[in-house]
Amino acid sequence: MSAAATTPAAAVGRDGPGARAARRGAYLIVAVGALFMLAPFWFMFVFATHSRGEIFNLPPPLWFGDDLAANFRLLTERLPFWRNLGWSVYVALMATVLTLLFCSMAGYAFALMEFRFKKPLFALVMATMLLPSFMNMIPMFMIMDALGWIDQQRALYVPGAASAFGIFLMRQFATSAVPRELVEAARMDGCGEFAIYWRIVLPLMKPALGTLALITFIQSWNNFINPLIVMRSVPNYTLPLALRSLQSTMNTEWGALMCGSAIATLPLIVLFAITSRQLIAGLTAGAVK
Amino acid sequence: MTSSDDFLRGARTFAPTRRGVLAAGVAAAVAPAARARPARTLTVAAFPLVDQIVKDAIPQWSQRHPDVGIDVVMRQYDDHHTAMTTALSTAVYLPDVMALEASYVGKFSDGGGLSDLLQPRYDIGRHRARLVAYAYDQAINRKGQVVAAPTDIGPGTMLYRKDLLDRAGLAASDLQPSWDAYVDAGIRIKKATGANLIGNVRTFKDLMIRGGLRKGQGIYFDSDSNVLVDTPRFHRAFELALRMRRNHLEGRLETWSNEWAEAFRRGATATELGGSWMVGQLANWVAPATAGLWRAAQLPESTWVSYGGTYYAIPRDSDPERKALAWELIEMMTLDPARQLAALRTQDAFPALLAAQDAPLIDEPQPFLGGQRARVLWREAARHITATAVHKQAKFAEDAVNAALDSVLDDGMDIRQALSDVARLLELRARR
Amino acid sequence: MRLPAFLRLSPKWAPYVFISPFLILFAVFGVFPLGFSLYLAFQSWEPTGGLKAMEFVGLANFAFALQDAWFWKALRNTLWLAVASGVPQHLVALPLAAFIHVAFKRLRDGVIAVYFLPYITSTVAIAIMFNALFSQDYGLINAALAQLFGMAHIDWLHDVTHVKPAIAFIVFWRYVGFNTVLYLAAMQTIPGEQYEAATLDGASRWRQFLHVTLPGIRPMIFFGVTLSVIGGLQLFEEPFILTGGKGGVQQSAMTSAVYLFREAFDFNDFGGASAMSWLLFLVVALLTWITNVAFRARKGGA
Repeated sequence: MSAAATTPAAAVGRDGPGARAARRGAYLIVAVGALFMLAPFWFMFVFATHSRGEIFNLPPPLWFGDDLAANFRLLTERLPFWRNLGWSVYVALMATVLTLLFCSMAGYAFALMEFRFKKPLFALVMATMLLPSFMNMIPMFMIMDALGWIDQQRALYVPGAASAFGIFLMRQFATSAVPRELVEAARMDGCGEFAIYWRIVLPLMKPALGTLALITFIQSWNNFINPLIVMRSVPNYTLPLALRSLQSTMNTEWGALMCGSAIATLPLIVLFAITSRQLIAGLTAGAVK
Repeated sequence: MTSSDDFLRGARTFAPTRRGVLAAGVAAAVAPAARARPARTLTVAAFPLVDQIVKDAIPQWSQRHPDVGIDVVMRQYDDHHTAMTTALSTAVYLPDVMALEASYVGKFSDGGGLSDLLQPRYDIGRHRARLVAYAYDQAINRKGQVVAAPTDIGPGTMLYRKDLLDRAGLAASDLQPSWDAYVDAGIRIKKATGANLIGNVRTFKDLMIRGGLRKGQGIYFDSDSNVLVDTPRFHRAFELALRMRRNHLEGRLETWSNEWAEAFRRGATATELGGSWMVGQLANWVAPATAGLWRAAQLPESTWVSYGGTYYAIPRDSDPERKALAWELIEMMTLDPARQLAALRTQDAFPALLAAQDAPLIDEPQPFLGGQRARVLWREAARHITATAVHKQAKFAEDAVNAALDSVLDDGMDIRQALSDVARLLELRARR
Repeated sequence: MRLPAFLRLSPKWAPYVFISPFLILFAVFGVFPLGFSLYLAFQSWEPTGGLKAMEFVGLANFAFALQDAWFWKALRNTLWLAVASGVPQHLVALPLAAFIHVAFKRLRDGVIAVYFLPYITSTVAIAIMFNALFSQDYGLINAALAQLFGMAHIDWLHDVTHVKPAIAFIVFWRYVGFNTVLYLAAMQTIPGEQYEAATLDGASRWRQFLHVTLPGIRPMIFFGVTLSVIGGLQLFEEPFILTGGKGGVQQSAMTSAVYLFREAFDFNDFGGASAMSWLLFLVVALLTWITNVAFRARKGGA
């Protein structure tokens, strides 16, 4: 169904002068809105190149300065920045790999297998999505303490590895992309269950896997609450937590902080720029159904 | 089947060869360096600037114990105390030595998570006479145990810009007779110079409510967990704070914020009330360019209070093998005049060790204060301070009272209403 | 590669094996901790004393929470922020999505990517950014307001009346693009014939929006609003970071989640905090159910 066929304007085909002015006004609003969306990012990068005194000045700087190197040096002095960055990458990668594996397995089972308890179990999966995040604060802390995982990175990527949203997404995609007959045929040929999953189903789910990988990576990279509760020592922090610890100083080095924020945001912006189409399409495909 | 062949083949390679001898030689050369690495490490958890004080002590420690390293884990002030709370409750990542700020000692003292330093293995009791009395007493919990050792104190002091007071025709003695006189002087300063009396009226309120405590009373609660907030002490502080706000004598600046620091740099704030360590903060980063313009004086109305201060504690569940060493480190930090004076010199941490308070360093003129021998003043002040009980809920009470003050100042709430509301809020928590 | 017979999964058990990672993780990190949290809600626990220091106190924690002025204050703050940040999100996203749907063909992907950008950024980075932008004396927002409208500088972050709007604005900024994208995707599933029929009936574009577009994407609106309700009620990161973890002046920016965190990790009252979390859960469940009913009712009545 092409976009053209569903738009009211295409169907109408009529445009009076008043309507045209209104249209131009609406274009303007969208453009201004886009500026609002982008402006904070712009300033984040601009401020990253200015010293604290320049940032907190009237008027604030609008264009780049020359303090980037100095800010970066301050940043690495105050924080084990490369370590924190490394941990963010590591945790995000581990989270992505585990989530892809566990969610695709469960999603495939819900989509293409028949078993007793299938409905109640899936309802359970959906129910977990409705639990407010604050319910988890103390429990997360307690279970990590009991397991001895406090201040360890695995506490960050293991718990959420079988996320309800991921299972939901996988199930939606598997239902439409993997023909049941193919699975049946393979089974009748004597192919083992795990082999069916690994060799037949997974390759067919590549687009959804890509989307889930992106979403998981982004969410893990940005995660703040879980590290806040579970991590204890600065060298083990991921980036958001490390930046916040820098912010809570009495003598806050704002230039370095901006620089750190910019570096923390940049990889995602680049990733998003490359994959935005697929990401948004995947997300909304799951939501629309 | 083939694996044992491999093993034998491998074993034969260990026969002496030129490469083998070279390898052995290298290993021998490296070994002494390996031996010099510390066999044990003490973990010290601290916040700025205490972490620097501990790090400065490492050379002296290494001479005494070359095989024991010190690992200082630094977190920001709030994060540090939160981390210590969770460390004590999970018994995971417990440091061997824990630095605590004075207002947090009460939070941990009754929970049983800190070792009792009166025990024979530590026997802090024999050192009691060498330490500032109130600081020592403040670390005694309800069971009579001493849960922490004081290392530095924060005698309350009034810092003022002599040049601004001069322009208003005032001297420090004009601000000191009473808190009312302090506020009155503020009006004159504002008129003559345009500068605010203080950056944040909360600090004023904090110092005022710390004065006039009777025995067995803490700031917000007494030793029976009765709430003390709806008392004349608080009423008066709130009334004077309101008077300051109405006369535009306070900058309404968040303490430690950029704007607050800027006000100092630009001479828009004429005085500051706080612990003696504030001088170091001003001199180091807040307003170093104003050096020489400031002076210190005793607080108005002969208010002898403590604002800040640091303690060292040993968690009860920390590694027992290192506890003796941990205590040795604490003794060194708190009882060795060299370390106490080093902390004073570099971080303006006023010694809790009485002997250090008689050192020549105390009589040294301080450049930031225009050559004034302020430390003598602070020593004098410390002698008058009495211990106050710090209740477990004191930190919460602090937040709640601040909120009440804001509602009075910003929203015009009646003082009596605000204080009785806070009292009710605290009563619910007092005995939890 | 064929596994030996005894290792091969039988189709009967296979589904459970495939779901087992989810089940195990759910049991360990979902059920058990939640159960323990419920248990804790009935205990008084001084955490620094270790696990043995727990004491059964019945409903005392719940009674405390219900009488605690801060508990109710946090709830009020949360509701205010949820509405103030949530409603504009959807009010703006709907017409915005409709317009983008109609007006942008080639640039559509670029436009929605730009609007989506705030959503994928770390809250910490955003909060740090806005901290600087909202600065009273040196911030860009006050500078712009002064320039454009001659307004005096507002103390956004330290003033009781202004900190909530500031936070609401940041949350709005973060999610408006996300909702726009959701609605846009839903709008693409409305068949063009419906619009043609409406045009033939002489309906203006505005009326078409009201009577064709909106009803057509009704399930998505329900989905989006539910997400906003739950998200708004669990708001934590923005208020936490902007107020240094304390909840702001007079606790005016202290949401329930922030208060919960403080009660547990600042005031060491795990029992009280657990009781509070369960009370709050009831509130969230109630409001989600109300949202559900509201949407269902209108459907029946339409």
